[in-house]
Amino acid sequence: MHHVLLDRWSQRASALHARDPRAKIIVLLVFLIVLATTPVQAVVMVGIQAALLAAAVLLAGLPFAGVLARAAVVLPFSLTFGLISWLAGEPLRALALVEKSYLSTLAVLLVVGTTPLPRLLSGLEALGVPRLLVLVAQFLYRYLFVISEQAQHMRVAAACRQGSSRHRRPRFHAAAGALAMLFARSYNRAEGVHRAMLARAFTGRFSTLGSLRFGAVDGLFVVATSLFLVLVRLQ
Amino acid sequence: MHIPDNFLSTPVWATFDAISLPAVALMVKRASRQLEDTRVPLLGVMGAFVFAAQMINFPVGVGTSGHLVGGALLACTLGPAPAVLVMTVIIAIQAFVFQDGGVLALGANVFNMAIAGVLAGYLPIQIWGAGGRRRRALFAGAVLSVMVAGSLALGELLISGVVMPRAVILTAVALFAVSALIEGAITVSVVGALEKLNTGFVQRPERSPRRSLAALGGSALALGAVGFLFASTAPDGIERLGIQLGLATKTAFHAPLADYTIGYFGAGYFGSAWLRKATAGLAGLLLIYAVCVAAARWIGREKSA
Repeated sequence: MHHVLLDRWSQRASALHARDPRAKIIVLLVFLIVLATTPVQAVVMVGIQAALLAAAVLLAGLPFAGVLARAAVVLPFSLTFGLISWLAGEPLRALALVEKSYLSTLAVLLVVGTTPLPRLLSGLEALGVPRLLVLVAQFLYRYLFVISEQAQHMRVAAACRQGSSRHRRPRFHAAAGALAMLFARSYNRAEGVHRAMLARAFTGRFSTLGSLRFGAVDGLFVVATSLFLVLVRLQ
Repeated sequence: MHIPDNFLSTPVWATFDAISLPAVALMVKRASRQLEDTRVPLLGVMGAFVFAAQMINFPVGVGTSGHLVGGALLACTLGPAPAVLVMTVIIAIQAFVFQDGGVLALGANVFNMAIAGVLAGYLPIQIWGAGGRRRRALFAGAVLSVMVAGSLALGELLISGVVMPRAVILTAVALFAVSALIEGAITVSVVGALEKLNTGFVQRPERSPRRSLAALGGSALALGAVGFLFASTAPDGIERLGIQLGLATKTAFHAPLADYTIGYFGAGYFGSAWLRKATAGLAGLLLIYAVCVAAARWIGREKSA
């Protein structure tokens, strides 16, 4: 599964990996807002923003081609709309849609690729996201792979049992039954998980190894990058 | 339909971020009031279930298959506020981990699919869910949740000025309608199977249809209307401001009077173009809504007969 790749990327070490997640989230937001408000005609400005992203990918030591390919997931959507805009006689707008949505995706990918998700989530919590949301996100991410694997098993099993069936109705009902079964198993698993966590003195919040520290370097990083982006935008 | 970044114009995403933030906060508050502690891992695991459910394909037609979206199913098993919460987390994880949908557009996506989608999906269940018309209510809810989310996304794109010829809009609406009907059929079928497994899974709303109907319908309508009004008035005001600001900085050395008239004409032009777009979008949305409700009733009657 491709998100495992993201986990591997985020475990590396670099100057960008070492930054506090809060700093990266703030810079990401500044970057996205600056990019979103950059006029279409400002080719140089968009070029500088793209160059900054490329430099950051290299600095983070992430595989360049891999990151570019991963960010291409947005292309089917944006190329479709870009094509429509172009055919409607607005080539500039088409170009803006495609290139800016791609750059935004790249920026998000850069942050997620240099920050393990638990750290990113505790950064979000420190920035004021409600604890319940963060907690649900942590459980979701933890069990995503487990339950997906179970779904995969059930799909294979179903295909083995009735792969030759040509009738739509029984297959539809079989799929619904499988989904209900998956639901029930997930439900029971959640209860078991919770009991086990209580038995290990779960207090309602995850304690992570190594707490967040927003140091002077992080502050410098936020101020310098934001200032640079805003100054380029104002030119 | 997850909208990526830079598809929505700045006033639109900013407005939806501003709406979704307090709305999600409110839902978190409501959910944490109803939930006992044991349900917190449940919400996360059920979110993972909705992700995994996309792997199980439902045969629908010649060579095509659909999968569960999950808004209505979550609403009728977990309750509306926890369902909104879980959907919000799902959309956020899709934006960050899977690059499906933008980060600035997160507010819009959350509003479409998690808030409006889930609440619209819960509305029929709340009204008719306790009585004998359960299956029909479920079906209508699932259809509505997909339809509302889809048309809201379409409306936001249109207001933002993304070029879409009529043929494209019609195709998109047709696609939404088809996937909404599929979602309805899947939801009814899965809930049926769930009730056979364990009747405790599916929540039955208390029998106080009138008050809750008014409250839920009112809040859903208010949310929708406020969202739409904000979204359609904001571009006007802010765009005008932007044009004037832009002109002011560019033509700082020109005579102030010339600057003013250009700004005025520019604003007038944008105002009228926006007005046409917004009215067309709103009318289309209402039409889609009406057609969808009618179709859901008709198909639901046939199914339960």
